[in-house]
Amino acid sequence: MFRVMLYNQWKWSRLIVLLGSVAGFALPIVSVQGAARADASPLVPAELLRTVQSWGVLYPVLAATLGLLVAIATWTPDHRGRHVHALLLPVPRWRYVLLRFGAGATLLAAPILAVTAGALLATWSATIPAGLQGYPATLAVRFALAVLVAFSVFFAVAAGTARTAGIILALIGAVIVVQIIAHVASVDLDLLGKLQIVILNWPGPLAIFAGRWMLIDV
Amino acid sequence: MTNAIEIQRLCYRAGRTFEIKDLDLHVPPGAIYGFLGPNGCGKTTTIRLMLGLLRPLAGGITLLGEAVPRDVARVLARVGCVPEQPHLDPLLTVRETLGFHAAFFPTWDWPWAERLRAKFELRDDQPFGRLSKGQKGKLMMLLALAQRPELLVLDEPTDGLDPVVRRDVLSALLEYVSQRQATVFISSHLVHELERFCDWIGVMDDGRLIIELPMERFKNGIKRLRVGGTPATPDNPPFVLLAREPANGTGETWLVREWEPQMAAFFDACGVPLHQVIDLDLEEGFVELLRTFRGPRA
Repeated sequence: MFRVMLYNQWKWSRLIVLLGSVAGFALPIVSVQGAARADASPLVPAELLRTVQSWGVLYPVLAATLGLLVAIATWTPDHRGRHVHALLLPVPRWRYVLLRFGAGATLLAAPILAVTAGALLATWSATIPAGLQGYPATLAVRFALAVLVAFSVFFAVAAGTARTAGIILALIGAVIVVQIIAHVASVDLDLLGKLQIVILNWPGPLAIFAGRWMLIDV
Repeated sequence: MTNAIEIQRLCYRAGRTFEIKDLDLHVPPGAIYGFLGPNGCGKTTTIRLMLGLLRPLAGGITLLGEAVPRDVARVLARVGCVPEQPHLDPLLTVRETLGFHAAFFPTWDWPWAERLRAKFELRDDQPFGRLSKGQKGKLMMLLALAQRPELLVLDEPTDGLDPVVRRDVLSALLEYVSQRQATVFISSHLVHELERFCDWIGVMDDGRLIIELPMERFKNGIKRLRVGGTPATPDNPPFVLLAREPANGTGETWLVREWEPQMAAFFDACGVPLHQVIDLDLEEGFVELLRTFRGPRA
């Protein structure tokens, strides 16, 4: 069952997975190469850290994008068929959902491995200045967790109906509208800031995305 | 003997206007049960309720002795379904679709699936999304049959198909039923098609089952009678008088149900001249039945 589900998932997600893997592999290499000088002189620590940090913003973006797109692709065949085929299969619904989730999560292993390989290659091929260290494994694990968190969140949202998605969007919209009204009325209310703290600060559900993503650090 | 499908006092409501109320339906094992009704009468909703796609407000549904929706995952392993619209993955090819489906059904019969695929002239490498309507209909029937079900629930499986494809699909169905003695529940508004092979008939209108009886009784029991004069409505007739209306010229036309030839004596005893007993085919009977069902409430 899982094999056919994985194959089905592959047909819908292969372009996303392939592009994500290429991007994931290239990102660590480009981030280190960006700090390299044209005359091949040794890397300057401050410059290297600045470059790695600026490229590091793209890791959570890539993780979130991959999680979102693969989650959408996971449910697309079922949404298109209005779930009729899935519901007529002789498996409990929770098991079907688990199969779909497992298939999507398995496919995400490819970009995670690509980031791991890229990070290892980038740190191995660069001469890291004294006082700095490469953290390819840490970065890869963090990227893996971020991808899985994003995939899980979007998988849950995408599993719902258009009505559910509408409710979520309406809630987000309502928060923004309240914030704008408060700002116009000069009321001391920072809803977005508070939400950001709750969601993105530890132990918030999306805390893994926040902070610095450093392949090379002190 | 337990019925293959048993529905008791089923209630369901969708929106403000559509309602299925106190539906009772019984499909004996081994029967080919034709489920008739005009568009929007609740046939597809009833089928969706039977297959656990919708949850009833009240009432009980039993398929092959198992309760739906409680045991729906278990019972679906023994039921072949052709939904009203083909809902398969458009990216998967015919071969991949068969493989996907087969993985979920322990009784899947690959050799027979291959024979049916060849018979239906379906190419292995064609994506489902690019199949014609007829090819999709064939593939849906193939999927339902190759899992070797004990019960087939078919929601207008030949709707929109050309006569050649329809014949292919129905002949495969009948071949399977004759081999396996499976029960078939088939909804359609192609009345003549059902007349050919169904042995039970249920007619639904406006969310209610108007009638449910063996096909022979339905076909032989509904008659149009030409009666002389305008007699008073008889007390306790042995048949069910569905409607009476003036005929051209003198006399009346009566539409009756549960008619048997010896009942002509009833008219003799009442002193009412019975001029003619007219046979109705299934379609005429179906139309008349709906007309009389709707008439008093119109």
